[in-house]
Amino acid sequence: MAKWPSSPELLGKRIPRLDGPAKTNGAAKYSYDIQRPGMLFGRILRSPHAHARVKSIDLSAAEKAPGVKAALAVIEISPDSKVMYQGDEVAAVAAETEEQARDAARLIKVDYEVLPHLATVEQAMRAEAPRVFKEGNVREANAQEEGDLEAGFKAAAHIVEGVYSTQVQTHNSLETHGCVCEWEGDKLTAWVSTQAVHGTREGFATGLKIPQTNVRVITDYMGGGFGSKFGPDVQGLVCARLAQKAARPVKLMLDRKEEHLATGNRPSAFAKVRAGVSADGKLTAFDAETWGTGGAGAGAGFNPLPYTTYVWPARRRRHRDVYINAGAQRAFRAPGHPQASFITEVVMDELADKAGLDPLELRMRNLPPEAPNAMWSKYFPMAAEKIGWTKRHKTGDPAAGPIKRGLGCAANRWGGAGNPKTQAHCDIFADGSVVMKIGTQDIGTGTRTMVGVITAETFGLPLQAVKVEIGDSNHPFAPGSGGSVTVGSISPPVRHAAENALAAIAAKVAPALGGADPATIVASKGRVHVQSDPSKGMTWKEACKLLGTETISVDGTWQKELATVGTSGVQFSEVEVDIETGVTKVKKIVCVQDTGLILDRLTAESQCYGGIIMGIGFALFEHRILDRNTAKMVNPNMEWYLLPGPSDIPEIDVTIVDQPDRGVVGLGEPPTISTASAIANAVANAIGVRIRSLPITPERVLAALQQDKRGGTL
Amino acid sequence: MKPFAYVNAANEKEALAALAQAARGKILPIAGGMDLLAMMKDYIAQPDRIVNVKGLDQTIAATSDGGLRIGAGVRLAELAEHPVARRQYPALTDSAAEVGTPQIRNVGTVGGNLTQRPRCWYFRNEEFDCLKKGGSRCFAVDGENQYHAIFGNGPCYIVHPSSLAIPLIAYGAKFRVAAASGEKTVDASEFFVTPDKNVQVENVLNASELVTQVTLPPPGQTRSAVYEVRFKQSHDWPLAMAVVVLAMAGDRTVQRARVVMGAVAPVPWRSAEAEQALSGKTISEETASAAADAAVKDARPMTENGYKVQIARTAVKRAILKAAGLPVPAFTV
Amino acid sequence: MDRRDFLKTVSAGGIAAGVITPADAEAQTGGRALGPGAVPIRLNINGRTHTLEVEPRVTLLDAARDRLGLTGLKRVCDRGTCGACTMIIDGRTVYSCSSLAIEAQGKTIRTVEGLAPAGSLHPVQQAFCNHDALMCGFCTPGFVMAAVALGEKNPKPTREEACQALDGNICRCGTYVKLLAAVMDPKGGVRG
Repeated sequence: MAKWPSSPELLGKRIPRLDGPAKTNGAAKYSYDIQRPGMLFGRILRSPHAHARVKSIDLSAAEKAPGVKAALAVIEISPDSKVMYQGDEVAAVAAETEEQARDAARLIKVDYEVLPHLATVEQAMRAEAPRVFKEGNVREANAQEEGDLEAGFKAAAHIVEGVYSTQVQTHNSLETHGCVCEWEGDKLTAWVSTQAVHGTREGFATGLKIPQTNVRVITDYMGGGFGSKFGPDVQGLVCARLAQKAARPVKLMLDRKEEHLATGNRPSAFAKVRAGVSADGKLTAFDAETWGTGGAGAGAGFNPLPYTTYVWPARRRRHRDVYINAGAQRAFRAPGHPQASFITEVVMDELADKAGLDPLELRMRNLPPEAPNAMWSKYFPMAAEKIGWTKRHKTGDPAAGPIKRGLGCAANRWGGAGNPKTQAHCDIFADGSVVMKIGTQDIGTGTRTMVGVITAETFGLPLQAVKVEIGDSNHPFAPGSGGSVTVGSISPPVRHAAENALAAIAAKVAPALGGADPATIVASKGRVHVQSDPSKGMTWKEACKLLGTETISVDGTWQKELATVGTSGVQFSEVEVDIETGVTKVKKIVCVQDTGLILDRLTAESQCYGGIIMGIGFALFEHRILDRNTAKMVNPNMEWYLLPGPSDIPEIDVTIVDQPDRGVVGLGEPPTISTASAIANAVANAIGVRIRSLPITPERVLAALQQDKRGGTL
Repeated sequence: MKPFAYVNAANEKEALAALAQAARGKILPIAGGMDLLAMMKDYIAQPDRIVNVKGLDQTIAATSDGGLRIGAGVRLAELAEHPVARRQYPALTDSAAEVGTPQIRNVGTVGGNLTQRPRCWYFRNEEFDCLKKGGSRCFAVDGENQYHAIFGNGPCYIVHPSSLAIPLIAYGAKFRVAAASGEKTVDASEFFVTPDKNVQVENVLNASELVTQVTLPPPGQTRSAVYEVRFKQSHDWPLAMAVVVLAMAGDRTVQRARVVMGAVAPVPWRSAEAEQALSGKTISEETASAAADAAVKDARPMTENGYKVQIARTAVKRAILKAAGLPVPAFTV
Repeated sequence: MDRRDFLKTVSAGGIAAGVITPADAEAQTGGRALGPGAVPIRLNINGRTHTLEVEPRVTLLDAARDRLGLTGLKRVCDRGTCGACTMIIDGRTVYSCSSLAIEAQGKTIRTVEGLAPAGSLHPVQQAFCNHDALMCGFCTPGFVMAAVALGEKNPKPTREEACQALDGNICRCGTYVKLLAAVMDPKGGVRG
């Protein structure tokens, strides 16, 4: 049975990532950086309208423009041809230079018949709203109900009611979506900025109606995806078709505006909640009507609600998906969870206030039983200690002056089960060189380094002595890097492949060690030797030399016992709010997070910092703003779509709890789930007024304070 | 970006000559290029020709009366660090230091900052054919106007984007405006025009003219400060800013005050009411508060930007306190 | 052949090194309009002179990336907000996406490729690696450039000064904490 080493040399240490040098000196080639001989540049023409019928597309002027080698209509004209949002793809060109491609795209003549549109959920939900979507603008989802709601509310001593909401957030991967496509006969090679080389190969094959064997997808480096990059998308297929038409390689990378408009987002969430707590601080019931929009053509579910870090004996949730004329949502780092966490955790604090309980105490009284993947009862006190929870004042900082301080907390959980179909392949050569191949990709999480660390650990070699090959659909299958499944998917087969390879080395070495039992032979510190007697052995190079003209070439498969499922964590936040300007400054975040067996502590920490910082953006800054009258985005850039910068970052105190016996489990998503919730609770604790909507802008803070003076709350 | 021809003017004379026949929007000057190139990439500006005017005066020099003359080609980073400017006109150098980012301040010039176009998102997105672009409506009126003007009578509700204009007006600066045909001096306070006068431009320059120099009068017995409120502490535009220049009678009493707000109106917005409220007063929490109230008394917010009234009020109050050397609330570091 | 004819006859694919003389570059000053078609230019990048032919509208970033193969610095926002394209020109950080290549002539331009000899790292790059001050890496070269420029101007920045020097750059993965640790590293970073 495969197992992790009990006293590892590398696993769990602070290991600088393998590709650090290439990423810091510019040598790393991203899809955006690929240049092929004779390469053209592609450009997509997109709809300037939120909703329109496309009556004709005239490519002739574009085709005649300088440098143009191919042009095509993305939309096939029929009586039903429509664009459903600003940024919907209409046509495309490829030209010798990028400037020429842009010029030519603007020469494409499109005859639009502008149709009524829906810019907001409120507009879409009105009874008199135009029916823009065939199956209805508003669609009921299945209701979820558990326990006796009526009894729950009867048992409640205090009830909180309110409407809570979160905004649409765009992924803003720094490397935009796109690819370089090159045909050789009927075979396509595509360098794609993707989180899934295998899934993207399948997407190209299906979209272009060619066999998967004729497609190779390469993603050596990629500049972030956060859930938005799992397939070729329209732009990938368009790029391939342009390359085919022009018989030249084509690069088609989107610009920042296109990225905001058309490559996904976190859907908005609204919840009208009624929740109760008993006199002794036990949650009794949670009832929510929820809705939200994932734009045109995608739902807006956010689960689980109520967030499952607390026990609600009775709960009900009725959800409606609202469709509007905006770019469709996609998976976004912990889909649904930050929204559900925000709604639930703010309700928790409001219940605590009503019940006169410390919000931490309310949480502690309502946790599920402790389990390896549900350790909140341990982590809450740990983090409380670190942030100095005892200094927390009741809601509303009594201190004089306009700068108010506050503390808040929230919990998170995530699954992250590995994909059992994942495989790896290991080659060892007679010169001692080693290569581990697996068709995963490093989206910035450190996957390349983890493959190397496991391989090097197994062979007792320094990290630099092993070669890692990833980011290629010709390598063994690995799933897309989403759902925090990557580490749980790839680590077991990599370890297994390395163990199998080592067994093959041991079989070669055993006769040379006087017929030692191969099963007793291990590799460590650059040597291959009998476990009980390190002097009975030889160097790694000597051992590999025994291969002669042979190469060890073995596969590894997924091993259940090496990975686990489920993580838990908590975050606490300290904020300062200037009640004369409404500006919130996050001062400190404390994070306690578990993640099973840690492979590389440096990159694990980085995931926590990164998730938290993205959570700060969600809490305060980020907001896709559509003009309410035209449904066109007013801030499709990085200037008015506010992203946290260096001076916006608080002190962040990360504690990663080791659970080495559980095996590996992913960490990409959990740390971003509870940050905004903790910040929102800290803001309320500071200013004494609840803000039930994200982002917590100066506008919202000042409006809430103003409203409070009038005796209400937002 | 549309193709354009490029003229590399070596000095002011060449620059003005190259602009001499300019029709509005067809030949544009480029200095740091931050604003112009972004507008051209977004097809908001589509000149046939651009003229490099980086050769304009790049010096900062004392004037004979103890004031300061600043060339339009001076970069913001240099202005922010200039020792004499910092001593005499701290609100100006502090404002310069707050503009954009280090990279922007390294290329952005004084002239470019003063004549940059507004950041209104309806103006900046090609899809909106707004008044400023020759269209027939202002989309902000019943749209997303959270960052728009709380003062002014329309019909366009941009907020003025230059952070330098606010202190320059408060300090009583004059601009040297030159064209191939000659030059003139314009008071900073007369330089910017409201949209009801001409909605398609923001200042008095015609297409052939450039601001070439800024002259500041000697500071005399003044105390001055800028206070800027912005949301993101890293790169962000101010939600509101205020510059206060107090001419002191003795150590404590204000003889005369200048109060100018930025990011609240289509032009820098001077408040005679706030100035009046400070005149003859000793600065305290109370007098600062009263002047701040006066400054926003006539604010007329739009549907979504009422909160900016409070922010502008705070900016004025804190600028007054800061100018007087009194403590100003701040986040702990 | 006069200059006008010269411009007409240069091939679309660029011209051989050495064809443009320094006098040609100087001749681009004065009141004469260049373009809108491609114009020969010379760029001094990382101590090497590159001759190329671009339309006046081509940015320095696009010239470096698409014409010279210097792809280390990235195009992210393309509007002078995110800093991924940061070059050091005459000692100052500049958004190369918002600079025209034709205007960068005669200047000393440094890109991330030129910070250290092949096979070695600049101390700032080494500190970034040691601290894991990078994740997806797409913003990293731009941050490296901003940090290098900071160190050359102010080798012992306070945390606040370091933040301000880097405020013109944006990272989406959220490496800021480790970025600042790298920049402030007393044994490396900008002090190197």
